[in-house]
Amino acid sequence: MTRNRRDRDLQEEMDAHLRMAIRDRMERGQSQAAATSAALAEFGNRLLVREVTRDMWGWATLERLLQDCRYGARMLRKNLGFTTVVVLTLALGIGANTAIYSVMQAALAPLAIPEAGRVVMVWTENAKRDWHQFPASVPDYVDWKASGVFSSLGALSDGGFNLRMADRTDRISGLNVTPEFFAAIAVQPHLGRVFRAEDGQPGRSQVAILTDGLWHSRFHADPSVVGSSIVLDGVPHTVVGVLPKTFPVFAQEEIYAPLLFPADMAENRGSRFFQVVGRLRPGIPLASAQQRMAALERRLSMQYTDDAGHSVALQPVEEASVEDERALLGILFGAVGFVLLIACANIANLLLARGTARRKEMALRVALGVGRWRLCRQLLTESVLLALLGGLVAIAPSLAAIRFITSFHLDELRNSDLIALSPGVLVFNLALSFATGILFGLVPAWQAWKIDVSGAMKEASRSNTGGRHQRLRGLFVISEVALTLILLVGAGLMLRSFARLRSANPGYDPHNVLTVRVALSDQQYAAPETQTAFFERVVREARSLPGVLNVSAVDDLPGSDNLHGSALRFPDRPEPHTEDLRMVLRNSVTGDYFATMRIPLLRGRYLNERDVQSAVPVAVIDEWTAKQNWPGQDVVGKSLKLGVKLPPRQIVGVVGSVDQGILVKLLKGQVGQVYLPAPQAPMPAMTLLLRTIMDPAALIPAMRKLVRNVDIDQPVFQVQTLESIRAAGRAYQRLATSLLGSFAAVALLLATIGIYGVIAYNVGQRTREFGIRMSLGAQRLDVMRLVVRQGLVLAGAGIAIGLAGALALTRLLSRLLDRVNATDPLTFAGVTGLLAVVALAATFLPAWRATRVEPVTALRCE
Amino acid sequence: MATKDRYLNRIELLQGTLDMLILKTLQWGPQHGYGIIQAIRVTSSDVLQVETGSLYPALHRLERQGWLSSEWKQSDSNQRAKYYRLTSAGKKQLASEQARWTQLSSAIASIMSPEGEAS
Repeated sequence: MTRNRRDRDLQEEMDAHLRMAIRDRMERGQSQAAATSAALAEFGNRLLVREVTRDMWGWATLERLLQDCRYGARMLRKNLGFTTVVVLTLALGIGANTAIYSVMQAALAPLAIPEAGRVVMVWTENAKRDWHQFPASVPDYVDWKASGVFSSLGALSDGGFNLRMADRTDRISGLNVTPEFFAAIAVQPHLGRVFRAEDGQPGRSQVAILTDGLWHSRFHADPSVVGSSIVLDGVPHTVVGVLPKTFPVFAQEEIYAPLLFPADMAENRGSRFFQVVGRLRPGIPLASAQQRMAALERRLSMQYTDDAGHSVALQPVEEASVEDERALLGILFGAVGFVLLIACANIANLLLARGTARRKEMALRVALGVGRWRLCRQLLTESVLLALLGGLVAIAPSLAAIRFITSFHLDELRNSDLIALSPGVLVFNLALSFATGILFGLVPAWQAWKIDVSGAMKEASRSNTGGRHQRLRGLFVISEVALTLILLVGAGLMLRSFARLRSANPGYDPHNVLTVRVALSDQQYAAPETQTAFFERVVREARSLPGVLNVSAVDDLPGSDNLHGSALRFPDRPEPHTEDLRMVLRNSVTGDYFATMRIPLLRGRYLNERDVQSAVPVAVIDEWTAKQNWPGQDVVGKSLKLGVKLPPRQIVGVVGSVDQGILVKLLKGQVGQVYLPAPQAPMPAMTLLLRTIMDPAALIPAMRKLVRNVDIDQPVFQVQTLESIRAAGRAYQRLATSLLGSFAAVALLLATIGIYGVIAYNVGQRTREFGIRMSLGAQRLDVMRLVVRQGLVLAGAGIAIGLAGALALTRLLSRLLDRVNATDPLTFAGVTGLLAVVALAATFLPAWRATRVEPVTALRCE
Repeated sequence: MATKDRYLNRIELLQGTLDMLILKTLQWGPQHGYGIIQAIRVTSSDVLQVETGSLYPALHRLERQGWLSSEWKQSDSNQRAKYYRLTSAGKKQLASEQARWTQLSSAIASIMSPEGEAS
């Protein structure tokens, strides 16, 4: 029998019952009206009788679920205001989680490598010298390869290439790899082949392999490119293959070329430039591979002084590929999780209050034989329905958030192009909504389970909330406040770090400076003199551009990710132990650099155009280096060495220290800086700096044209103003700051609503008590104090717990913080103050309302 | 208030025994819901008043368990009503419940009024 027919049948059965009852009464002499009303009264609530009878039909689970859903939907429609508030709260919480999950899913997608767990990065470690995940030297690589641990072990080093196109030359990033690299990854090329042992050997034609990205962006995905010739660094290369889209990315590379070890590195254990990736030999588990490599490295470290104290770490490549992302994503995911928990606490509180209002309905249902289990399930269905609705609405904010996140163009993030509302993300959204519904639905279900039927029925109209509910509500608010405080501290630290980064004096003047990078190809500018000549010519010609004050060039801008360091030695002191050597940053600059950057001269002189290659080797050091190494002495005229075999250099000047950026700070705290004249230390890649009197961006076209006229094969890239480089900071930091900031704002809003809701509800409950107190002589101020105190106790407890949690958790943030300690007392104090003030404000309104209670009215409402 | 209390107490009283009372009532022949309530009330001399909210769920449950079957028929007073009848499984169930009830009530009776006290 169908449900509808059965329903009609039941309806008729009950109608017949009533008709017979009325007839009997009329036969006993009652009037029709009296008989009808008496029969109806005796029958009881027809709707409920029908409902509880229906329950006996033993429907299939699905049908029962449908019925529960229909019931739930009816209840939600009936309380439209409540439903709207809850759905919007959930949409914010679930939407934020969905968006962050879409980022996680993209970034943490497994690598498309066969048996990826067997592919490892091999790193050099040296705790004493603070080396973590250091690259390897050529002899290391050769020894490791002979260990028998790996079926193939490849070396790679990242670099850039100048790719000549029809009308221009582009700078692209690439990897130089040994043929074993492709054997270790073991992914078949999309087209053509990977490198063979003979590729790149002297006397053979040059070859290259394209990534899928480059193939699409520059070659229109034309399959005939395989076998054709392209010009890299001014030299023709034959394209032998194209890699699939899923090929793992190591350093944002777009092209691969064979790696040839320079002859001078073959025996040099101190030159560490190569990353090493290998596939474990079948049958050797990771742990025993690690042991065997450690044993090998112990032998090497005893044999060679350059390797003293070294050890080796094998890191699965999957782990290596997400290492950087993991911290950021973990923090963001934790933060959105907190927001959702806060939202749940708020909703649970709303449901608690509503559950009290619905007690009689529930009690009646239980009395009429609806099982408690059934009642709980019905209420859970209602909550889940509510949550699913929230999840559906959440799609709008999550789409907006995804668009916001992708607008940061996080190139460092793996698969950032895959961040989207994919089916997997939608499934997550659904699952999360469901779980959320169950979570906050436990509250009304638990309430229904505990319901005391005769108590609820006996109660007078005034609902009396048990102390138990009040305590539960308080607990929810305390946890909300605690979670909010943690989020606020996190956001506060990020904001402070960001603000400091922007306002701190970097030691130079970043305004009105255009920076343009040029990387000369090794093949066209093999001789160092030609490199110097190129940059000197460009600098000279750029001086005549309109509006230009100074022009100079430096190999690495302060704060760049690309650094050159040297160990500092002193000709007049004994050779120190290897581990006692101090690293300094080494920069090659053309004469005008300090004037362009406006780095102040403290002693001696700047470098100038007379410091040519044939002149006395000189150097300028920064103040910090001078203080560290020659405390209390006049350093001008002293000498330093930047390598055992290199000639001593005379210090001719001391300049102000500059901000070295987050990378150096994280690794070393602060290091010294040594500036060398470019003719005495030529570099193939330099950044040109132009200080202008007007907007520096206006010079970009002229500068591009100028470099093209000098040599069409040398592209300019990283064209930006110094100010924008500094303001931008790292995209990660900016993203984390804005996301954490908005999450914290949402959390604060929700917590405020939560505190207000509980206090207001409580004041409503205690109206009569306040009336009595005031009629017994209590002043308005006393009542107010009573209410405010309750709010402050809740907020205080939450803040105390939150502070403890924040101290434990903000440590995770330290990687993203610059110039701010993760336990920065000012941030902690400020955020605590803010939360306390907001909590006080949320308490104040209900407290004020409590003082407006008229004793007489309050007593009469009983 | 007071009526509600009594109503609740009665529900509790009937819990577990309502099924047996229904089966017993139907032993005398098919009857509709209203008739069952009247029969139980009259037979118990107005002590037991079965609520519709208990009766109808019980009837529908017993039917599902296969102890009752139902059909629409004209009543004595020429009204259409749904009549419930005992099935053979229902008869067996009644017999076993009756046996258990007799056992239980004599056990309770011997506790409540032991022979020694009566003499």
